[in-house]
Amino acid sequence: MSPDYAGLFLALRPEGALVLGALTVLALDLSVFRRHSGDLRMALAAMLGGIAVIGAGVLTWMGPHGSVFGGSLMFDRLAITTRLGVLALVLVSLGIASASRAPRNAAEFVAVILFASCGFTLMAAAQQLLLGFLAIELASLSLYVLAGFEKTRPTSAEAGMKYFLFGGMAAAFLLFGFSLLYGLTGSIDLPEIASRLPADPRNPLLVVAFVMVLVAFGFKVAAAPFHLWAPDVYEGAPTASVSVVASASKLAGFAFFTRLLWVGMPTAAGSVAALPVSAGWLPALAAISLFSMLVGNFGALAQQNIRRLLAYSAIAHSGALMLGVMAAGEFGSAPVFYYAATYGLAASGAFGVIAVVERTGPCQKISDLAGLHRRSPLLAGCLGIFILSLAGIPPLAGFFGKFYVFATALRLGGLAGPAGWLVVLAIALSALALYYYLVVLKQALVADPDPEAGPIKVPILAAIALVTAAGLVVLFGVAPSLLLNLP
Amino acid sequence: MTISAHNLWLIPLLPLLASASCSVIRRRGRSLAATFAILAMAGSFILSCIALRTALLSPASHLTSNFTWFGVGDYAVRLGWLLDPLTAFMCVMVTLVSLLIFIFSIGYMKDDPNFKQFYCFLSLFAAAMLGIVVANSLLLLFIAWELVGLSSYLLIGFWFHKPAAAAAAKKAFITTRIGDLGFFMGILWLNNATGSLLFYDGGRGVLEPGSLAGLAAQTTVGGLAVSTAIGLLVFCGAIGKSGQFPLHVWLPDAMEGPTPVSALIHAATMVAAGVFLIARVYPLMTADLGLAGAPVHALTVVAFIGAITALMGACIAVGQNDIKRVLAFSTVSQLGYMMIALGVGSWVAAIFHLLTHAFFKALLFLGAGSVIHAAHHEQDMRSLGGLGRRMRVTFGTFAIGMMALSGVPFVFSGYWSKESILHAAHEWDVSSLPFLMGLSAVVLTAFYMTRLVAEVFFGKARSASAEHAHENSGVMTVPLVILAVCAVGLGFLGTPAWPWLQSQLTGSTMPAHSLLEGGGLTVLSIVLVSVGIGTGWALYARHPRQTEDVQDPLERAAPGAFGFLAARMRFDELYLATFGRANGYIAALADWLDRRVVGKIVELAGRMSQSAGRFNREADEEGLNTGFNAASDELRLAGKLYSQAQTGETHGYLRVLAIGFVVLAIASMLGGSR
Repeated sequence: MSPDYAGLFLALRPEGALVLGALTVLALDLSVFRRHSGDLRMALAAMLGGIAVIGAGVLTWMGPHGSVFGGSLMFDRLAITTRLGVLALVLVSLGIASASRAPRNAAEFVAVILFASCGFTLMAAAQQLLLGFLAIELASLSLYVLAGFEKTRPTSAEAGMKYFLFGGMAAAFLLFGFSLLYGLTGSIDLPEIASRLPADPRNPLLVVAFVMVLVAFGFKVAAAPFHLWAPDVYEGAPTASVSVVASASKLAGFAFFTRLLWVGMPTAAGSVAALPVSAGWLPALAAISLFSMLVGNFGALAQQNIRRLLAYSAIAHSGALMLGVMAAGEFGSAPVFYYAATYGLAASGAFGVIAVVERTGPCQKISDLAGLHRRSPLLAGCLGIFILSLAGIPPLAGFFGKFYVFATALRLGGLAGPAGWLVVLAIALSALALYYYLVVLKQALVADPDPEAGPIKVPILAAIALVTAAGLVVLFGVAPSLLLNLP
Repeated sequence: MTISAHNLWLIPLLPLLASASCSVIRRRGRSLAATFAILAMAGSFILSCIALRTALLSPASHLTSNFTWFGVGDYAVRLGWLLDPLTAFMCVMVTLVSLLIFIFSIGYMKDDPNFKQFYCFLSLFAAAMLGIVVANSLLLLFIAWELVGLSSYLLIGFWFHKPAAAAAAKKAFITTRIGDLGFFMGILWLNNATGSLLFYDGGRGVLEPGSLAGLAAQTTVGGLAVSTAIGLLVFCGAIGKSGQFPLHVWLPDAMEGPTPVSALIHAATMVAAGVFLIARVYPLMTADLGLAGAPVHALTVVAFIGAITALMGACIAVGQNDIKRVLAFSTVSQLGYMMIALGVGSWVAAIFHLLTHAFFKALLFLGAGSVIHAAHHEQDMRSLGGLGRRMRVTFGTFAIGMMALSGVPFVFSGYWSKESILHAAHEWDVSSLPFLMGLSAVVLTAFYMTRLVAEVFFGKARSASAEHAHENSGVMTVPLVILAVCAVGLGFLGTPAWPWLQSQLTGSTMPAHSLLEGGGLTVLSIVLVSVGIGTGWALYARHPRQTEDVQDPLERAAPGAFGFLAARMRFDELYLATFGRANGYIAALADWLDRRVVGKIVELAGRMSQSAGRFNREADEEGLNTGFNAASDELRLAGKLYSQAQTGETHGYLRVLAIGFVVLAIASMLGGSR
């Protein structure tokens, strides 16, 4: 195989744009913007970063299709839509970052976000173990930095530390799993692995390998029981970092692991369509899904802290998304993509609202949102849309995401098997989830504000980002085919 | 220079654009609004002349341009434009009369605060009327038909602060809507039977032999051919719009609108749309003529309705004292003549009379408008008088219009067109009744028009407003003169000696006859006109009325009959006593049912659900709610317990991760080993 570097360069122009953008932001901040105030530097850096992200998006749109560099990268529908989706979510997060209290080194914050996006876009297309691992690590390392970015604030430092320790463990598991897979098949290319995998899914080495991969998957998308980092990181990390962790990182994770499982190990999948479940990673995935939905929804019920509540909600949504991953092999990955992308929009939007509220005071407790409709009708309206979408109320995008995922999961075997039961449970838990979402909305839309709390001024960039995100949540809810038929 | 059928939509478009721009002009932009409207109308007139030229190149053909409006499943709704001599002549007439009346209105409406609104509505009307004329689809025609109904409503009620005007507008709208209901049912039936509403569509249109044969071959209730039934339903629309008996009651009331509106809409154009409609769908109306056993032919009904209307309108006109009411009933009567012509099989005569009538009746209305304007809105002829000396142009042109309407022989257009109708009616072999009724109406027409002229223009002024009247400015008199020229000249296009108009309309050369063809009938009608004018002259002109409150000579002679006519044969009272009262009873019954029966049932249901609710609440609070609260507490407790497990200690977290891995791996292996 003669390496096709020209093709690789063409295919990776978006990553090039992101890296170039990050370096430009750093360079300009150190030279030209040096004398400006923190807020302005933040806004300028965010705008430059936004331009780089948009450029990457355009290059992605115009980029090649099909496999590149001997099959290391695969630019299929899932890859391209995910890359575009990730970039859009990063754009929203940048808008939010511009509104947060300016960190000491604004440009570095933006640059690290861009490096993380570079990792996400690579994850979306990677079809090779080594490349995939590098992409995940690039993304994860950036996220650790982002989580602990406000290093003078103990909670932020603690969040970064916990995330790093947990992520390091998960990475070790993932690498161990990958090396087992390599040992079993002698290849690191996913299609190659699929063809050489041991025929018997009960092969102990294979079981250890895929469970190790699932551990890393669980960590990456915050699925129970590998979710423990999430509430602490969501609570402590800077809001804009959380927004990236909750949206783009999740979408990229789902895309990468869906590809890894269904392209790399389809023969080891097993079945959850009917009892008794057959051996394979599908039953393990079903267990993770069940566990995540239970932990996420029940955990959220008791929360007084809005960020922790959203963390548990994220765990619950990961559980529901696992249902989509289970069905992706047979019915395609479109529902997973739709759900993850629209969830990302709503979640990052919700954190965006929190970020803007934080400009005037702390926003940790749910009651900190009290009377938001008086203090800023715009924020309250956007928050209403985001939270209702997370709760899955039609006609918002969250409803259709759940609908598609549940509908495809039901096609796995109807209500007869574990997949069907999981769907029923997921629907029941969605009803339960409405309670804690409405608790948030009650504070934001009904309760009276603290008499000392004044109106909130929304910075223009953040307003644009939030209104666009809310508009997209409504639009994709009303016309889901827009997103489902993207390229 | 020619215009293709494809571009025919430009003709209604121009006034529509004028209407749109008038609607956004500021209220003070009076001259701007009038300029837009008049320029658009002039443009439409020029286009119409070009269209006429195009159509006359091959008079027998129907040039069409059809397009698909929208599709539903396999069914496509298609519309189109049609250019043939009928369309072209109507276009020219409508645009020319509109143009003249638009110009006249500058003077007549100059003191009105809603001047620009007036031109907005007038232009909208003109656009809709032209839409009716150029439509090649019954659906498109119906849309435009309803739009002229709307603009008629708006213009009758233009002075809506007058209660009479507001009531008249409502009456016109509702009465014509009754006819339109039948029309619409006819359209639906036709669409159902043929699958198309296009008039001409390369052999598939509803007016082409293929569809018509099928329509005539089927029969429906009472042995009527389907084509007869559809034709009669369509005729319902014409009855409403053209003020035919029994739906004529709205037309005289419509005179509450400004006089130019009466002239344009309620004399020259819109009310003639019913006649045009029947002429347009004439192949459909005649499809049943060949059927031997048919209980009734559609055209027979048309002829009798027309005859009744012609005679009735002429009778009532004799007993009216308001200038505009006399003219309004005269219009009703003349439209009846046109219907007779259609009914007896000569649609060409009907269109000929439609065209001549449009000009001389517009002339008469504008003349009346000139008088009313000069006499400070006094329109009771008993209070006028002696205006002939003060308003010479108006008097001269009005006299021409009067003679054209009366059918004074040889010079005036009305004579030729009325004569051709009477000839056609004479030759009708079904019944001679319409012919006889038409002849009687000739006498009456000549009589009441003489009475009108004598009362208004002769004698001496009988009120202060009549004394101070003087001739209007050129913007009002010039249109009168042009219309007067047309009222004379147009007749020569269709004399028996040179039947050019008839030949062009039918597309086949008509044989020329001597001017005195059918000599006996010609002599008879000349005698009848003379009798009418002579009687009128003897009663009113020789001894003009001296004061306002002198009794009318006819009233002295037969107070009962005159009162009956003056009260318009009590049709309004009759309708009020029958339909109005029946409607009142039905409403009262519905009200009683609503209050006593339905209301009680609703109340009972309400009581029942109240009790159910009360029971439900008890059960809910005692049983369910307690349980639910308990369950909720359990759930929250579970959550709390769980979150206590989240210690925040990293070592613990990593331990859980490892445990999770081991459990999953063991479970997977166990699951696999089974």
